[in-house]
Amino acid sequence: MNVTINEEGAKALVKLEGRLDTTNADQFMKDITPLMNGSHTEIEMDCTEMEYTSSQGLRMFLMLQKTVSSRGAKLVLKNMKPHVKEVFDITGFSHIINIL
Amino acid sequence: MNFKKSFSSRLSLYVLLVSASLMIVLTLLLSLIATAVLRKNAIEKAELTLNNTVLEIEKVITEVERSVDNLDWVVQQNLGNEEFMYEVTREMVSANPNVIGSAVAFEPGFYKGRSYFAPYSYIGDVSGELHTIQLGNENYDYPLLDWYQIPKLLGHAYWSEPYYDDGGGGQRMSTYSMPLTDENGEFFGILTADLSLEWMSDMVSAIKPYEDSYTFIIGRNAAYIAHPDNEKVLNETIFTSAMAMTDTIAFEIGRDMLAGNRDMRRFMNDDAASFIVYGPLSNGWSVALICSYEDVFGMAMAVIMLIIFFLILGLVALFFGSRSIIRRMTTPIVQFGNAAMTIAKGNFNASIPEVYSKDEIRTLRNSLAYMQRSINTYIDELKTTTASNERYESELNIAREIQSSMLPHNFPIRSDLDLYAEVQPAKEVGGDLYDFLVVGDSVFFLVGDVSGKGVPAALFMAITRAAFRFIGALGLPMAEVMSRVNFSLCDGNQNNMFVTIFAGRLDLKTGEMEYCNAGHNPIVIVDPAGKASFLRAKPNLAAGLLENFPYEDEHMKLESGSRLILYTDGVTEAEREDKAQFGEQALLEWAAGLSETISSKGAAHDLNAHVKMFTAGADQNDDITIMAIHYLKNNNTKNQE
Repeated sequence: MNVTINEEGAKALVKLEGRLDTTNADQFMKDITPLMNGSHTEIEMDCTEMEYTSSQGLRMFLMLQKTVSSRGAKLVLKNMKPHVKEVFDITGFSHIINIL
Repeated sequence: MNFKKSFSSRLSLYVLLVSASLMIVLTLLLSLIATAVLRKNAIEKAELTLNNTVLEIEKVITEVERSVDNLDWVVQQNLGNEEFMYEVTREMVSANPNVIGSAVAFEPGFYKGRSYFAPYSYIGDVSGELHTIQLGNENYDYPLLDWYQIPKLLGHAYWSEPYYDDGGGGQRMSTYSMPLTDENGEFFGILTADLSLEWMSDMVSAIKPYEDSYTFIIGRNAAYIAHPDNEKVLNETIFTSAMAMTDTIAFEIGRDMLAGNRDMRRFMNDDAASFIVYGPLSNGWSVALICSYEDVFGMAMAVIMLIIFFLILGLVALFFGSRSIIRRMTTPIVQFGNAAMTIAKGNFNASIPEVYSKDEIRTLRNSLAYMQRSINTYIDELKTTTASNERYESELNIAREIQSSMLPHNFPIRSDLDLYAEVQPAKEVGGDLYDFLVVGDSVFFLVGDVSGKGVPAALFMAITRAAFRFIGALGLPMAEVMSRVNFSLCDGNQNNMFVTIFAGRLDLKTGEMEYCNAGHNPIVIVDPAGKASFLRAKPNLAAGLLENFPYEDEHMKLESGSRLILYTDGVTEAEREDKAQFGEQALLEWAAGLSETISSKGAAHDLNAHVKMFTAGADQNDDITIMAIHYLKNNNTKNQE
């Protein structure tokens, strides 16, 4: 999973590419640490190139969501491929994570 | 010896090559200097010899000339005494060792009554006896001969060209003739002295500054007067010799000698590189000394050969000597190599040879020893780590066994229900779970999948299973069951672990099914006709995330003869090497193809086999959990296998 973070003032534009599974979940966690610890008021993740996420990956999104919400900021996931979106839907994560 | 393999041999060879080239250059330089010095010395020596020779010959010639001059006076004083003239010639010959004949020849009629009067003394060739005769008679009309005529006409003394005298001495000689004149300047006779040339040849033959060098003398007409080869004397000229040579310089040399010049020239003497020094005598003859370079340098060449011989001997000694030294010095390296090999083969305590010097070898030895210590330390650490890993590994196995034993393995045996479930664990401990509980005529069942893997997932799975065991038995509505389980899971879940669950309760009498889905994969329903479809239940939300999430349950009527296939995403997301997933469509097709009579256990095994066939040996990276439920017709008495 490739994570590219661009900052536009208080807004973070994040590009996600590839698969997120058990083997690289820890690395993904490290990659998004700046977003967890940062002071962005809005985080927008572009999921156009995201191919897959495992339940471990869902947990990462959830943790990010909780951290971001706790400081009053907004997390949005965009342009998700249908089969990836389906995972979020099946598990009900669509209820707690903002997917556009 | 193998120069490619032996470091010492190769190094010695390099030393040898460098030394050899150095010595070759030095030898060449030495040879050049030596030959230059030798050549200079040789020429100087030759010139000195030539000068001495010239002086010696001049001395003899001068002696003869002076004697003749002196005799002139004696003759003038005793003209009146005819008989005394015999005495004069005898005196001349006996007093001069180089004079072999002497004559006083008078003009015809000088003495009254004597048309010829020429007393002549000479030494007989064999006996060495002195003879005295009177030369002139009708047959020997001397006033007409050269030796008489030429000085008479010239009016001064004259050396004849050398000639072979077969009348008198029978030797090669040259005659010095001096005209006699009275007080009025009137010519009245000739005084002669015959100079033997034999001594000259002997003398010339004795002049040998070098073994093959030789001296020769030529006369005014270029004929040889003295030459080591006696055959040539008076028979050949320098030009006949020159004609036989390829080097045309010989002609120039001949002409230069005749011109009375003095010089040193190099030329090819019968194809032998030589040099010649020559100089004139006062009587117009020329003396030359020829030396061949081979002769001059012969000695030097021998010395150089000797030097080269010792040089080669020295180089061979150097090679073996340096090889022996280098070999001794590199012995530790060979030993280190062996020690390193021994260490590499697993004997980590092999001793490394001691080194007592304080050089690079020592450094190498220390590095090797350090490496050995490091390896030993590392291996010790590795052993500890491996041991603890093994312990960890075995504890994980135990954990997996405990986890597996938590799941029920005694499946209900009923005429109206055939239920079977199993977990195919992945290599790593995972968090899949299933459970069922038959209470009266209803069966409670669930399949769940905890997020992530490893011990945390296993622990969370254990908590989940315990919660269901407790809450599931209370007979509450499914939404309530799920809400309570969710609530208890959310308590203290700081790691945001979650579990997706499909839980249901089937009334075996009526076929009423109540179910609640917490973010789990849609289950498959196969109706009695064998048609398979997904049960698209409300997803709600995976449990453990939001403690107050309002879970909703749903109801449906299940026809008897229907099958339910519950599973975790280990089935649909089973991957081949190329990352292609088994998928929902394949699952549905498999379910549709199920035999009507197959047992639930058979169905679960069959699905597992299908998944394995699909993944074709690729690593299983997630637990695969399958629960198959067959809701049998009431009158069906088929038993559990």
